[in-house]
Amino acid sequence: MTTINKQRINLKVNGEEWEGWLDPRENLLKVLREEIGLTGTKEGCGRGDCGACTVLLEDKAVNSCLVPVGKAHGKNITTIEGLSRGEELHPLQEAFVKEGAVQCGFCTPGMIMSAYALLKINQQPSSYAVKKAISGNLCRCTGYTQIEKAVLAAAAKISESGN
Amino acid sequence: MKNYQNAEVYEKVTGRAVYGADLNFPGMLVGKVLRSPHPHGKILKIDTSRAQRIPGVIDVITGKDLQQKHYGIAIPDEEPLATEKVRYMGDEVAAVAARGLNAAREALEAIEVEYHPLTAVNTPEEALQTGAPSLHQDFPGNLTWERYLERGDMKKAFEDADVVVEDSFSIPAVNQAYLEPVSCVAIADRYHGVTIHTSLQSPHMNRNIIAGVLGLPPSRLRIVCPYMGGGFGGKVFGNQKAYILASLLSMRTGQPVKIQLTREEEFIAGRPMPEAWLKLKMALKKDGTFLGRQSDILIDNGAYSAQMPFVSKTLSERNDSLYHIPNLYTRARLVYTNRVPTGQYRAYGNQVANFAYESLIDLAAQKIGMDPLQIRLKNCIRQGDVSVHGLKMRSCALPEALETAAREIGWKQRRPVNRGVGLACCIHTNGNTAAFRGFSGASASARLEEDGRVTIITGEQDYGQGTHSTFAQIAARVLDIPPDWIIIHSKDTATTPFSLGAFACRQLTIGGNAVRIAAENLKKKIKETAGKQLENLKHENTENLELKAGKLVTATGKAVPLEKVARQGMYANQGMPLVADGYYEPPETTAADESGYGHISATYSFAAHAIEVEVDPETGEVTPLRLVAVHDSGEIINQLVSEGQVYGGVSQGYGYARMEGYLFREGEVLNPGFHVYHIPTSLDMPPVKPIFLENKDPVGPFGAKGIGEIVQVPSIAAYVNAIADASGARVTELPASPEKVFFALNKGKKEGEAR
Amino acid sequence: MTYINATTIAQALGALREQKGKARVIAGGTDLYLQQLPEILVDISGIDKMRQIQITGEILELGSGITHAQTFASSLLQERATCLSEACSYVGSPQIRNLGTLGGNVVNAAPAADAAVGLVTMDARAILVDCEGGNKEAPLEELYQGYNRTTLDNSREILMALKFTVHHPGEGSSYQRFSSRKSLSLPIVSVGAWAKVKDKQISGVRLVAAPLNPSPTRLRRVEKELEGAFASPETYRKAGELAREEAVTRDSPLRGSGEYRRHLVGVGVERALREAVYRAMGIPSEEKAGDYYQ
Repeated sequence: MTTINKQRINLKVNGEEWEGWLDPRENLLKVLREEIGLTGTKEGCGRGDCGACTVLLEDKAVNSCLVPVGKAHGKNITTIEGLSRGEELHPLQEAFVKEGAVQCGFCTPGMIMSAYALLKINQQPSSYAVKKAISGNLCRCTGYTQIEKAVLAAAAKISESGN
Repeated sequence: MKNYQNAEVYEKVTGRAVYGADLNFPGMLVGKVLRSPHPHGKILKIDTSRAQRIPGVIDVITGKDLQQKHYGIAIPDEEPLATEKVRYMGDEVAAVAARGLNAAREALEAIEVEYHPLTAVNTPEEALQTGAPSLHQDFPGNLTWERYLERGDMKKAFEDADVVVEDSFSIPAVNQAYLEPVSCVAIADRYHGVTIHTSLQSPHMNRNIIAGVLGLPPSRLRIVCPYMGGGFGGKVFGNQKAYILASLLSMRTGQPVKIQLTREEEFIAGRPMPEAWLKLKMALKKDGTFLGRQSDILIDNGAYSAQMPFVSKTLSERNDSLYHIPNLYTRARLVYTNRVPTGQYRAYGNQVANFAYESLIDLAAQKIGMDPLQIRLKNCIRQGDVSVHGLKMRSCALPEALETAAREIGWKQRRPVNRGVGLACCIHTNGNTAAFRGFSGASASARLEEDGRVTIITGEQDYGQGTHSTFAQIAARVLDIPPDWIIIHSKDTATTPFSLGAFACRQLTIGGNAVRIAAENLKKKIKETAGKQLENLKHENTENLELKAGKLVTATGKAVPLEKVARQGMYANQGMPLVADGYYEPPETTAADESGYGHISATYSFAAHAIEVEVDPETGEVTPLRLVAVHDSGEIINQLVSEGQVYGGVSQGYGYARMEGYLFREGEVLNPGFHVYHIPTSLDMPPVKPIFLENKDPVGPFGAKGIGEIVQVPSIAAYVNAIADASGARVTELPASPEKVFFALNKGKKEGEAR
Repeated sequence: MTYINATTIAQALGALREQKGKARVIAGGTDLYLQQLPEILVDISGIDKMRQIQITGEILELGSGITHAQTFASSLLQERATCLSEACSYVGSPQIRNLGTLGGNVVNAAPAADAAVGLVTMDARAILVDCEGGNKEAPLEELYQGYNRTTLDNSREILMALKFTVHHPGEGSSYQRFSSRKSLSLPIVSVGAWAKVKDKQISGVRLVAAPLNPSPTRLRRVEKELEGAFASPETYRKAGELAREEAVTRDSPLRGSGEYRRHLVGVGVERALREAVYRAMGIPSEEKAGDYYQ
């Protein structure tokens, strides 16, 4: 029988405080999906090889399937659910829709989060910078072209409106 | 309208869309499967007593508990759980249902299985040898399926030939690698039977097979589909074991049971596209005319057949209809091995043969000193032609596709050393009479809701390839309402007509036509109803009523909103809303006869892809510079969706050509994960330019043809042809990795040495 | 508490001492998390002091808690420890680079580890402390002890920092990597080169290749032959040839044949050496690790 030790874990997810009593070795992806109920972040491989589980941990894009939740204690986490407010979408989400960058949608939350992390530090990315920013997110449906267009379009829109 | 996307896309970008893994039900148990560690062996004993005693473990089942008879898609060679033997590493041996993943995992570890390992056969060649151990009693020599396809007189063709060119090709097993691993929840109840929540490309076809295994009448098995995270053929039948075992566990425990595959399980127990070997020989005239082609094809079935005989059929015949080849002799053999059972992937085997055939044509061109483009133009199938297997080309822009691709890539351009271009083309069906024995068309209902909105009810599936959006566009065009007024209801077998689903590239042409007809029938009904029900229209000639922008308009200009017609009609029918059905049977299609002859699809799609590459001779690394994908898919209903299909399909073709492939060692999959089975990332793809020749098709809805499968195919051969053009290195064994290119350059086959 | 997020080095060492060998250090966790996670973990990724880049004169001390992304983003390291910066830019993916640390890369001791090759090329030394108050400094190469193992006892010791001399004028370095695709892959072969050039002659050189052995391999015989050689295409080519002779490679079903990989070692050495020499001489290079975005 594997021993499971639990401890208090505090997370700030999408601006909201969350507290739980968990095994700190449980991965953040599982905690987000099953304990907190935020199922927008997906599991594609469980090993950090596909990026479907990408969230922001203190503004940096990480594979949540590789983060023991103990490591996230006290930290800020942003998931796909944190980008929109009701019907109001983030420019990235609007751009993904407009450019046809979404087919099956399974890679989409992780993909958008990687793009979101990019735009936080580089508001005028080159085409190459966009490719590199999403190079840890696998997509089998779209071949990436429309996704790249969407990120560049969103960057332009954000710069325009001086956000 | 041409870039219309329905509102489902908003669910996806916000993370609200619910996929199988996101589903939770009260009291739901976690199901897990125990798999064989041996490629071949007898099961001597299974002891589940320790597992059953673990706290939280509710049920443990083995093959012996189930007493299930064999089932299969083409051949009944599978059981839900192995009873006598295991036949590959990954074969399902036992299953558990427990409260929570940890308990389920512990239970698996506590099950004790005693095996008597048997000698395994690791390749079709080994399996066919006399005295080789046989996997299945009914197939003592391991030859699952065999076909001889003959046309004309191949012997004479060789005699008449000026030039004969031959070579051998091989292509590895390839995984569909959809991002969402199969996940299902089965809920059994005495009234409804069993409901399985899982995303499938062909829910009805699958339902019937699984119902048979469970001993249920089909109407008592309901499949409800959440969003699907990619399928590409792999989720037409999906992981039937998962659905069956989850259902059985739910039936036995009385609680919902969820089975979710890990990525590793997707690799070792999914159904990848098969490994195949092709020995080819072509006869030609020195002016480039194709006289005949001889093929000897060996296909790895793996341990169980599933749909492989059908895939093998397509693999062994499809590309013969791409050119005029009057004489053919093909032997194709599908062979059992103690390896991962194989299945279908976008294009259904077409791509396997296309890679080899399109490579050989380049070799032929080289041998007679002819331009690879010209040799194709000389022999390719054209509008109005009938192919050697009876396929009638109702619309065909293949020559234009070839010329456009060549022109766009700069075919004649002088290039620096180590740069080159390659070309390949392809044909694909739009549906296939062989797909299902009962019928090959589609049906749909169009229902006018009391608020004037429309619901289209169909069992055809959308998993991101835009089916729902294009169906809405079709219906919107017929009814002249905004596409946003239309909802497609498709994800529930209990409330939709029996539909064949998303495969054989049939949904746009066949499903789309059914939707069109249903919408047209609804339009008729709306006009009739209006004529009968509405006071101010009672004396109008219903023939002169038009649907315009959501209103019913008379010749004199009187307009009545659809809403009004809907409500009046519904009340007049005591509450039944106006509904019209539409049935579509692809015209003039026939089943293929015993020799494989028949116009099996109403119309065919074509494509030509060209790629420019640069080869680094020091390392064999190839930089793809750009790719042009020219498609004859008739009129394009949705530009955004069609472009997306091209970009995505090309990325799969590129992966196939360059980096993908199962690696086996004595039945063990050495690369069962994305860290060791590589698919292209954003940094790997070259710029891709899709071009659509909008050559109106007489059959498809509004002149459109399917595009979803053909997109993957020509990129594969185009890539290896380009490498040969750039460097002289001819790779005949995929994937054309840098190492293979390097050795082809430095040791092996160089162009100009073609035999 | 079985997961301790340490904020100071003293706290981390104290926790290890308290647990008497039952706790393990975790940094980024991207490697460790794929293995069996031990019961008690001391997370050092939050210790600010361990993420600092401190330069005293020409000696640079890199806190081992620095991530691959941070290494790659540092303009100081880009200029004066180029091979290390480049090596870090290739690791995994942006997500992995945001979590994975240099210390973790070393301690996990994967034969194909990129950062480790960059560090050995810079002739780095490891600074270790243990929970009993001991500390030691040793050449990085001495830490390795077989496949995926170092001499470091993860339940008592922490790899604090990596220390090396940054490029002086007249010195340059480069990292060359061959992999099956352009992201999310381990290298099939990787090579690091550092060169010191005086009057167009190579007065100092270090060549490192992986994965040939459990740890990054210095090609010392080739280095010896190159001393005093003229900076010329002939020299780079010869270096490649010699490297091919010195390197011992095995067939790997996943990575490729020994023959091909040995050939790649040669190509990598030729290219890395040429690039290092160009940089040492201040000749503008065509190569770039890519758009620095982070």
